[in-house]
Amino acid sequence: MLQNVTLLGLLAIVIGAIPGAVSRYYLTEFCKKNMATSFPYGTFIINFTGCLLMGFCFTFLKGIEGFSADIDLLVRTGFLGSYTTFSTYEYDTFTLWRKGNLGSTLFYWAGSAILAVVGIALGRYVANLFLGV
Amino acid sequence: MQNAFIRTVMAIALGAIPGALGRYLITELTKAMIGKDFSYYGTFFINVTGCFIIALFYTLSEQKFKNVSPEIRLAIATGFCGAYTTFSTYGLETFNLLDKGNTTIALIYWLGSMIVGMIAVQLGVTLGSLNSKSNSSKI
Repeated sequence: MLQNVTLLGLLAIVIGAIPGAVSRYYLTEFCKKNMATSFPYGTFIINFTGCLLMGFCFTFLKGIEGFSADIDLLVRTGFLGSYTTFSTYEYDTFTLWRKGNLGSTLFYWAGSAILAVVGIALGRYVANLFLGV
Repeated sequence: MQNAFIRTVMAIALGAIPGALGRYLITELTKAMIGKDFSYYGTFFINVTGCFIIALFYTLSEQKFKNVSPEIRLAIATGFCGAYTTFSTYGLETFNLLDKGNTTIALIYWLGSMIVGMIAVQLGVTLGSLNSKSNSSKI
């Protein structure tokens, strides 16, 4: 059933996932320390930049010669999948809402989701420029 | 200082490894069972269950298990839930559905994830707060 799953592929995901999750943590902490606000800028920036990179890599990695499926697993499934997060996004939205910040709740909730698609589109556009398509 | 950094990285990695591998295996299983172009069913399931787990864990650690160590929080919330769920694939799948002209499915997936994710958070918070008053009075 899972013929595509190889040990090297799983290892590639692990190698990408650890720096992905660790950089998410330190970026979030950095934003918490340097921005005196309850708005979750850290996760907001992480998810947008993650989508930019995802749009870029999805198009770019498939467009280059000698593309390796394991590199794709390392970069996209491992690093970018782990760098971006959906659970903290929804939990932060819930927390903002419970604090009564309806404006920033809606801005964060809808804004992140809109920027997800915009980020992918922009990333793909840039990748196509690189590939000369 | 260096020791604290290593402890943090180890705790996050301990959660992130099963989180990312679990996400990959669920996605592959979805592709094998439903079809190559239907990975978003898997991502939807992953993101919604991840929202439930993080809300349940945060609520339990705030109300019942107040002396949960920071390393456990890093492993479960930052590491596991963070790596298990994904925002970049959610964006990519929505974009690819739009790109292929499946506008209705794209909208359902996009909005559905946002809304059902919130319901899952609410469910986790509600379940995590159950009996919290009676428990704390006994201790």
